[in-house]
Amino acid sequence: MLRRSASFVRFFVLLLLSTLPAGATESENVFGIDLNDPTALQEATRILAEEVKLAARPQTYVIVDLVDHAVMIKGRGAELHRFPIEQWSASHLAEVSTTVRLQARPPVTRRKIEPSAGGDQLPVSLDDMPTDFTLTFSPSFLLAVHPSATADFWRWLRFTLREWWAWLQNWTRRLATGKEPPSQPVLRLTLTPHHAQSLAWTVTEGMPFLIRRTSPAPP
Amino acid sequence: MARAIATLWSVSIGALLLLLASSLPATDASTVQAVEIDQATLHTLQSRYRSLSKQLSQLMPSQAYIVVDTARNHLYIKRRDQVMLDALASTGSGTILDKPGEAKGQWIFDTPRGEFTVQSKLTNPVWVRPDWAFIEEGLAVPKTAAGRIEPGVLGEYALGFGRGYFIHGTLYPRLLGKNVTHGCIRLNDEDLKSVYRLARVGTPIMIF
Repeated sequence: MLRRSASFVRFFVLLLLSTLPAGATESENVFGIDLNDPTALQEATRILAEEVKLAARPQTYVIVDLVDHAVMIKGRGAELHRFPIEQWSASHLAEVSTTVRLQARPPVTRRKIEPSAGGDQLPVSLDDMPTDFTLTFSPSFLLAVHPSATADFWRWLRFTLREWWAWLQNWTRRLATGKEPPSQPVLRLTLTPHHAQSLAWTVTEGMPFLIRRTSPAPP
Repeated sequence: MARAIATLWSVSIGALLLLLASSLPATDASTVQAVEIDQATLHTLQSRYRSLSKQLSQLMPSQAYIVVDTARNHLYIKRRDQVMLDALASTGSGTILDKPGEAKGQWIFDTPRGEFTVQSKLTNPVWVRPDWAFIEEGLAVPKTAAGRIEPGVLGEYALGFGRGYFIHGTLYPRLLGKNVTHGCIRLNDEDLKSVYRLARVGTPIMIF
């Protein structure tokens, strides 16, 4: 009898706990950062201020978190999906300090239904999405996604050669004119082919993106 | 002579590579500049950070909400970060169908993405077949509304989330987990019943 009452009480307590809102400590430090590190604090505050504005509207948005090495799809502040970033590199990222909006989705070949054909007609699936693509944003920002060399060597090589070619063109221009070519913030993400396809699938035109940048290591 | 040319060639290539390497785009670990602030500013920043964290937490749906992953064809019911139901679903096929008589008109069978709310809850719904349902089968579009009504294909319940899109049942449970629909979200009978019970009119639906 006593054991039965105890298990009932335990069940009741668990039920009560599961319905309680998140604890104050957790909700007051969503990134779990060191509150005495001014650089990390400033960046996290900037992201939060932007995210609060985005979460107040009925929409989904993406946070590329370079500190936690993760891409998060969110809505109303809730995390809907997350996948890891294998590697990243960036140039001029300090200039990306506001929300950026996607100009166009990566292209996908849609199959046309032929009414006269009948039978099963193949849908578009995640496998149809590209693993190597560049997203363009407004204000000016580029997000280049590519698979790792181990996952897809030829795509990786193509991406690397393209990057080198762009760099070489800039360098030649600088040499010829003696002027620094206009810089554009670029973030390059290495994702697994599946995660790259997931990102290509998820993004929609006008979708807001936030980039959480890293701070220098403390001395 | 040949050795001199080879040496010169090697030196030139080496110099070029060095030059290229030194000018390569940075693959840095940090992307923001370190800042130094006084104690008072730090306290202000800490208060603002705490306040924003709280605001964000308050914006999260306090009741159960629906999440639909169209890439993997799953529907979840969540409360905060807890998953209360994980159901296999079918979502939009992404295919296109030309509108007859319109040069550029097309139907695109995507499940819409973004945030929506449950707008209606129906029991024993009846499907009123739209034009595309006839055209894709090569049939003539009926002239009367009666010719469009098809009972028993949507399951026992349907939850509308706007512009003619519904979460409903299916006659083809073997296709669950695949992108095969015209934009609606299909579930099996049992999961549909759970969703119908847990969701209310106004429950948020987040689709990605």
